[in-house]
Amino acid sequence: MTAEHTKAPLLPNTGLMLIGMGPGRLSGMSVEALQAAKAADVRRYEAYTALWPQAQLDALEAEVGAIEKVMRPEVELPEALFELARTSLVALLVVGDPLQATTHVDLQLQATEAGLECLVFHGVSITTLVTGAIGLSNYKFGRQTTLTYPYGGWVATSPLEVIAANMHQNLHTLALLDLDPTGEGIGHQIPMRPQDAVASLRLMWDKLADAIEEMPQETALQSMRVEACEALLSGDLDSMDVVLCSDMGTDDESLVATTVAQLEGQLGGRLNSLVFQSKTSEVEEKALLRWR
Amino acid sequence: MGRKEDNIKKATEVMHILPQIRNLCIAAHIDHGKTTLSDNLIAGAGMMSSDLAGSARVLDFDEQESARGITINAASASMVHAVEGTDYLINLIDTPGHVDFGGDVTRAMRAVDGCFILACAVEGPMPQTETVVRQALKEKVKPVLFINKVDRLINELQVTPEDMMARFTETIKKVNKLIKQFAPEEFKKAWQVSVADGTVAFGSAYHNWGITVPYMAKSNISFKQIFEYCNNEDQKTLAEKAPVHEVLLDMAVTKLPGPVEAQPYRVPNIWTGDLESEIGKSMLSCDPEAELAMMITKIWMDPHAGEVAVGRIYSGAIAMGESVYAIGAAKPERVQQVSMMVGGDRIPVPKVVAGNIAALTGIRSAAAGVTLSHDKDFTPFEAIRHYSDPVVTVAVEPKSMKDLPKFIDALRSLAKADASLQVTTNAETGEALLAGMGELHLEITVYRIEEEQNIKVKVSPPIVVYREGIEGNNRGSAFEGKSPNRHNRFFFEIEPLSEEVVAALRNGDLGDGPVRSSDAKETGNKFGELGMNKDLMRKIYAIKGTNVLVNDTKGIQGLHETRELIIEAFNAVCVKGPIADEPVQGMFIRLVDAKLHEDAIHRGPAQTIPAVRNGIKGAMLRARTVLLEPMQKAFVSVPNNWLGQVTREVTNRRGIIEDMPSEGEVTTVVGVLPIAETFGFSNDIRAASQGRAVWNTENLGFQQLPPQLFDKVVAEIRTRKGLKPEPYPESYYSE
Repeated sequence: MTAEHTKAPLLPNTGLMLIGMGPGRLSGMSVEALQAAKAADVRRYEAYTALWPQAQLDALEAEVGAIEKVMRPEVELPEALFELARTSLVALLVVGDPLQATTHVDLQLQATEAGLECLVFHGVSITTLVTGAIGLSNYKFGRQTTLTYPYGGWVATSPLEVIAANMHQNLHTLALLDLDPTGEGIGHQIPMRPQDAVASLRLMWDKLADAIEEMPQETALQSMRVEACEALLSGDLDSMDVVLCSDMGTDDESLVATTVAQLEGQLGGRLNSLVFQSKTSEVEEKALLRWR
Repeated sequence: MGRKEDNIKKATEVMHILPQIRNLCIAAHIDHGKTTLSDNLIAGAGMMSSDLAGSARVLDFDEQESARGITINAASASMVHAVEGTDYLINLIDTPGHVDFGGDVTRAMRAVDGCFILACAVEGPMPQTETVVRQALKEKVKPVLFINKVDRLINELQVTPEDMMARFTETIKKVNKLIKQFAPEEFKKAWQVSVADGTVAFGSAYHNWGITVPYMAKSNISFKQIFEYCNNEDQKTLAEKAPVHEVLLDMAVTKLPGPVEAQPYRVPNIWTGDLESEIGKSMLSCDPEAELAMMITKIWMDPHAGEVAVGRIYSGAIAMGESVYAIGAAKPERVQQVSMMVGGDRIPVPKVVAGNIAALTGIRSAAAGVTLSHDKDFTPFEAIRHYSDPVVTVAVEPKSMKDLPKFIDALRSLAKADASLQVTTNAETGEALLAGMGELHLEITVYRIEEEQNIKVKVSPPIVVYREGIEGNNRGSAFEGKSPNRHNRFFFEIEPLSEEVVAALRNGDLGDGPVRSSDAKETGNKFGELGMNKDLMRKIYAIKGTNVLVNDTKGIQGLHETRELIIEAFNAVCVKGPIADEPVQGMFIRLVDAKLHEDAIHRGPAQTIPAVRNGIKGAMLRARTVLLEPMQKAFVSVPNNWLGQVTREVTNRRGIIEDMPSEGEVTTVVGVLPIAETFGFSNDIRAASQGRAVWNTENLGFQQLPPQLFDKVVAEIRTRKGLKPEPYPESYYSE
């Protein structure tokens, strides 16, 4: 049999496929996504926004064929990737969904601009998993954010600003955790542990207190954000409620509802995210009890 | 109590009796025996064992001076000498004999009232003697003459007594001509030297004898006898009958003025303040009870005490433990110790009074030329020097890595003793970059590392430090810098700052570094006073050197989070510009717009810094970048016979002659030339004038490099730095 015959009938001969891998289990990938991965001539695994457990990755490789890891520069300056896609069918495998937590829409647009066919195969994203699994109402989530490491002394404040603005509107916040202490997306990935997240939050808290007067207040929305930050900072970081979500969608999945102060003592899993809850309904409160 | 200790005790007593003080120096050509003479005077006065004299060289406590056989820095030594039963305190200031240390010579002259002109009997007064004498006369320092090495005349050249007299007459005539030419009007006649009135001495400093007509009369030695002693090789007896220190110190005491006599005519010459004021009057009268006025003439690093400042007190007294202002410094400082100097020995005393030379520790802001006073606003003796940016760099590293810790220590103390020296070290490779005011400045620094610290070093050829700037602007045509993920974009417009603002930045009037938002209003107002838009400048982000970054955007969500990253990138460009990685100057950079990714993880340092760096560099290119080179103003004084050769040396080096004022037989060529062309100038100018040219320089800042040299110089710098020869075009920074 030639390579032509093994391809699913809908797939082109050349081009780029953005394939969602789901959260971290081979069996959690869609049949369609698996077929596409198998049909590709070249497989790349985008390994800087999230990670799969190595065993599952090995299983996937056994199933669909050899996979090569790529980091941020290859994705952000995708010329080499595009060059391949001109003459062969290239799969870029992305943890979760390629167009959810990870914003690869720019890659999709660039590929189209470059005259390449670009297909997308969705996967289950952390954004859908978390809300459902915890039992907090999907309708009551605000903007999501990523808690970043302090890169070489630079501390972000916007993650805390997002949490503040959400809370101000009685909305919950999903905070993904960084997995690159360098911020450059090229080195060894070290997913943030709960204690790292708390350390980072403390730095952000202190910095936001200084930075608040620099925040723009040109529009009503911006004024609301400043007000929200002031309200947040008038409270206490340690007593903030938070749900630690570890290894979601894998065999090791676990959930813990706790406070920021208690979070420091939690080991967490391989990949973690946090949900900062706002005002909860009775049903939500009952659902959360399962994780206390 | 030994003789030395006894003398120290006497010195501290006599210091208070003003008519019994003499401050003097020795003006001489290299190798005419200045240090030997100084040491014999000090030894003779009982401040050093007489066996050591001639070899120990007390004044040359800087090892480098002994090693080079030339005196580079002025030190001082005090000694006591009795004339007719009265003790006199003689403060001897050593002067550099090397013309490139002109500033030091002038300062040494500020400290003294009289000077020995030392001339070799065989060679007569030499060009450098002339130079120093000229400087002394300009400062209204009274000269007397000592003709040295008379023994060589008799023993080596076998001249007859008549010949010898003829040679002396010739030398005296030359010196008097100099005095006539350069002495202030009122002293042209009075300061003429003559054998008959005892203002000329002759002898041999090396063999420890000297004679004047008054001393001949006093000691019953005839001219004929001297001739015979020398001929019979019995100069030792001669030294017993007419010891050089006795004769010369007698001459100093009786023929040179004390501070009370000299200050009335010297102070108006060196101080521009109001002479009718209280302090003016007390300086004129050298009043030890009045307010303090002191000028520091030299700083050196003492291995035990740290920085020691030596200077002359014109009025009042300086005491241990009191607080004084080094004029120009913001705060008063406490005098930890006051000492008198005896060569390498500092003898601590409770206080030193007007008319004397004192050594101080504890005044960390003191530098050569600085004035000390209790009054913060006292008019200084010399204009306060703002050290300009260094313009020449050499890379230095120890030849042996085992010397590395010692090498780094040595650099640390050198940088402290010399404010015009910038040292950057790489602790891992051991390489240090020394940046200084000129080629010679760095040569001496390297010499000190090698000789004083005994660390052998490798030195690169000197390199000129250039600057990058802009000649136009890109107003209305903002340049967009993109982050690698293309989600963050920063838009910059750049224009040159006005000269007035650049000058204020250079003076540090506006501060340096990131401006806190709480301080931005005040800083903005200061820029407003300099003619800039006050409201805009209140949105200032940072100052780096003479460059300013302002946030000229409104209401951009998340910008405050990236503020420090934007500043970091701005700083990086200020240090390494787009043309040749050289420092940037005089830029007014406005961030006019920005587009940021929603999430912090996609707008961290790895994204924001390259975006801003490219944005600023691209904007600079769009505003037409230029390369600037450091310029120097050279003042070369040369007898008219050699004028042509000297002007040629200046014009051959892309120099422009600005002025050529002449004074008698000497013309001063005032030229402006690029520092890149001045390497080796010192030697060439000396060769072109047979050593008669005397020059000093001042750094003029930076001027645009002639366009025809741009490509060549840029390629040279870039190649040296391991970059590709051509700088990147504007388009490179928009990708």
